[in-house]
Amino acid sequence: MNSTLDRKLRPEFLLRVVGVAFFAYLFFGFMLLPCLNTLTSIFNVKNAAGERDPLAVIRFFLAGSMGKYVWNSLKLAILLVITVNIVGISIVLLTEYFDIRGARILRLGYMTTMIYSGVALVTGYMFLYASDGILTTALKNTFPNMNSSWFSGFNAVLFTMTFACTSNHALFLRNAIRGIDYNTVEAARNMGAKPFKVLWKVVFPTLIPTLFSLTVMTFITGLCAMSAPTLLGYDSINPEIVRLAGSSSADEAFPQARAALLSIILAMFTIVLLTVLSAYERKGHYLSVSKTKAKLQKQKINNPVWNVLAHIYAYVLFIIYMTPVVMIVIFSFQTYSAIRLKKLDLGNWTLINYFGQQDYEYLTGRGKYKTRVGSISGVFANEATLGGIKLSFVLSALAAALACVIVVVACNYMFQKNHKKSGVVLEYALLFPWLLPTILICYSYRTYFNSNSVWYVGNQNLYYAQNVRLLIVMAYTVTKLPFSLRMIKASFYSIDEELEEAARNLGARKIYTFLRVKLPIVLPSVLAVFALNFNALFTEYDMSATFASTYGTSYAMVIQAMCREEGLYGYNVNASGRRCASTVFIMVVSGIILYLVYGVGARDLGERLEAKDRRRKFFAKLTGKST
Amino acid sequence: MIRLNDIVVKFGAFTALHDINVHVKEGEFFTFLGPSGCGKTTTLRTITGFIEPVSGSVVVKGQDITHVPIEDRNIGIVFQSYALFPTMTVYDNIAFGLKIKKLKKNEIDAKVRDIAKKVDLSDEQLQKAVSQLSGGQQQRVAIARALVTGPAIICMDEPLSNLDAKLRVQLRNELKKMQKDFGITTIYVTHDQEEALTLSDRIAVFNKGYIEQIGTPNEVYNFSKTEFVCNFIGDINRLSDEVVQKAAAVNSEVNPKKHNYVRLERLHVNVDLQPGQIGLDGVVTMREYYGLYIKYYIDLGSQTIKVIEKNDGVRIYEEGQKVQVVLDPRDIMAYEPSEKTEGEE
Repeated sequence: MNSTLDRKLRPEFLLRVVGVAFFAYLFFGFMLLPCLNTLTSIFNVKNAAGERDPLAVIRFFLAGSMGKYVWNSLKLAILLVITVNIVGISIVLLTEYFDIRGARILRLGYMTTMIYSGVALVTGYMFLYASDGILTTALKNTFPNMNSSWFSGFNAVLFTMTFACTSNHALFLRNAIRGIDYNTVEAARNMGAKPFKVLWKVVFPTLIPTLFSLTVMTFITGLCAMSAPTLLGYDSINPEIVRLAGSSSADEAFPQARAALLSIILAMFTIVLLTVLSAYERKGHYLSVSKTKAKLQKQKINNPVWNVLAHIYAYVLFIIYMTPVVMIVIFSFQTYSAIRLKKLDLGNWTLINYFGQQDYEYLTGRGKYKTRVGSISGVFANEATLGGIKLSFVLSALAAALACVIVVVACNYMFQKNHKKSGVVLEYALLFPWLLPTILICYSYRTYFNSNSVWYVGNQNLYYAQNVRLLIVMAYTVTKLPFSLRMIKASFYSIDEELEEAARNLGARKIYTFLRVKLPIVLPSVLAVFALNFNALFTEYDMSATFASTYGTSYAMVIQAMCREEGLYGYNVNASGRRCASTVFIMVVSGIILYLVYGVGARDLGERLEAKDRRRKFFAKLTGKST
Repeated sequence: MIRLNDIVVKFGAFTALHDINVHVKEGEFFTFLGPSGCGKTTTLRTITGFIEPVSGSVVVKGQDITHVPIEDRNIGIVFQSYALFPTMTVYDNIAFGLKIKKLKKNEIDAKVRDIAKKVDLSDEQLQKAVSQLSGGQQQRVAIARALVTGPAIICMDEPLSNLDAKLRVQLRNELKKMQKDFGITTIYVTHDQEEALTLSDRIAVFNKGYIEQIGTPNEVYNFSKTEFVCNFIGDINRLSDEVVQKAAAVNSEVNPKKHNYVRLERLHVNVDLQPGQIGLDGVVTMREYYGLYIKYYIDLGSQTIKVIEKNDGVRIYEEGQKVQVVLDPRDIMAYEPSEKTEGEE
């Protein structure tokens, strides 16, 4: 009896009780209940007569006015799958499989979407191609009759997203193609297969599992597109949900219930697609049976015509990828007037788009010049921009860290031998947000917590004033849980079970073993996930747009606002310049994070000690001291 | 020193260990030998506390430790993978157990440096990451870490299996020397019979959760108690009925009703027949050259028999050559047919 009580009072047992309570609170309070509320709200509407009419929204939907958004999203998703796969496969083959001159430079260009994406990328493309963009302005000067609004609507969204969504191909398909055993290619060639036959019959089949996963993910991305349709003007589901969520029933019929219905439709699509993907992944992937795998060697295109065409294609893609980046970087150092005229002024460079303020002089309608003191301001001098950066920095860092901590604790529990069944339950609970589109979670939070009657948050309205920041952190955290779990769980697999046993054999208790042995092993991966989470959240648009309010104006919303400010001369006139500088700032932040994750962070203790030793020797040499 | 009394271990419905009884003497190098899945590692893990037996007891120095938590058993382990903590330096790896015991810093330092010296690790190596060491050095770190806390026993779970053949032989000798120097009771798990024979004072041969024989290397090799042991340890010929009949004709102790075996090195080719021996005519069908010796496959008509001959550089037989194999029936090891041989059902 006493021993049972003793066992129950042990810190490990108490920690487990607290852990179970916390995860239950997180799952029910911030995943299940808000989403169930959204689901029930569809059937909880009243008609014009004030009577409860559960099927009113469904009828409204079937009447056809809402179907447009679903169809538009589906159209975008389907075409995006085709275009992204064409471009994605092309960039991987051109840099990894075929022998194309300048492949390293090309690869850098193709991977630029890794350091700037989402709203930054869309605004970057707009800077170039919008009606007042650099390229459009230049073309308009040459062809005065051209439609200056050519870059808008569906085509613009498809074009932008095609190039924005190839990052996954650049990462995962590249790894898959690098994993091919070159001996299989040689064997096929040896048996008389022509190069393209080898590509089609030997190489492609090994890439199909990766391509399938990428296709599903691209489809979901297209379906849930937010920043591109919003900024480029295309009626798809997500922007409509955000619009309806902010609308009043005085203006249109049951907007909240319609938003809920659209988000549930999106969730259903996502669930079906992810189920298909999981079923496919469970079938198992192609595995190389080779014991001595040979490194893939690049294939020369022997036909000169094809070779030239491949080179042209590679460099055209490179130009498409690089032009916005180069232009944005260059123009971020140009003066306000150069940016306004979309004309490079090579004799006049400035840092005003980053730092400091400048007065703005303009001609009034009465023909007089007026001066606005300090109207031209840089990213780090403009209060609104700086506020957005600070808010996004704090909220993203908090959420990224919180997601990592939750997942590490969960993984430590899941990977203990006697927690198999409860570990599976916990894993599914943390993967739950993966099944739901981000917009559904955010919309659900916005509506569910916009009241004083949710007891488990202390009857506080979380969509009110400063509380919205807490809501944003929770939304950020919850949506990052599945990704964090997949990544961190993989690193837990790399912990040799014998390490834990060795520690216990040397007298260490479970908590000590976790802190001193297991955590240091997974820490580089955890920090990498933290950095990637932070990177994604820092300029995140979809959730920011849903929670946009005075107290919740994130960096992405500030960038979006910059797209609109340009016409308001006299106030914040430097919006385009700041936009360029903002994008460059994002690229620098992302670049540093990726370097820390994949460069420095990937080193093990041995490599770090060796680097330390090299540094010591280098400084000793510099100072003339012997080592 | 260590007594395992009627240990039974079950994994669900499967019984992994059936009534295991072992007595390991103080300072002894005792090996658990057997094929994969025979229960040798399970027995080791029962001693170290990672597995709790369904019944039976583990007694160390007269104290029953069957239900003592792992961390309180004071038994050192060298794991198959060495299980060195990759995020710590060699020094920190060795000091880990001492830090848990909350020893003073200078005491820890003294103990770490002392044990490092004994296992031949330099001060410079102590500051390295374990990934910067060779396989042999890593093994020494693992041994140092297991020994530094002063355990009563050290258990080693196939610590040489990850190494290449040459290093394995080299470290085998070092291991034996270290064990003698420290004088610590050692339980060693391996499936490699050569390792077991060269290292051990005594060997327990495991099969399907049972111990088939416990004995010195000479006893298990030359006087294998069971058909499984004679098959598992070293290479052997099972004699055909025809050969057994011939042997029985000259030696009444040979029993044709039993399964009769003879070791390869007990047979000789083209030597003078001595009284009590039999000659078996055959043809060399294959020859394997090992340098120090040569293994011949000789077709006797009723069976192909394997013979090992010392390579003296003179008497080397060609494939197709007719030879006479000489067998002394006293070298035959015989087992009752009811005993199942390896692979037989």
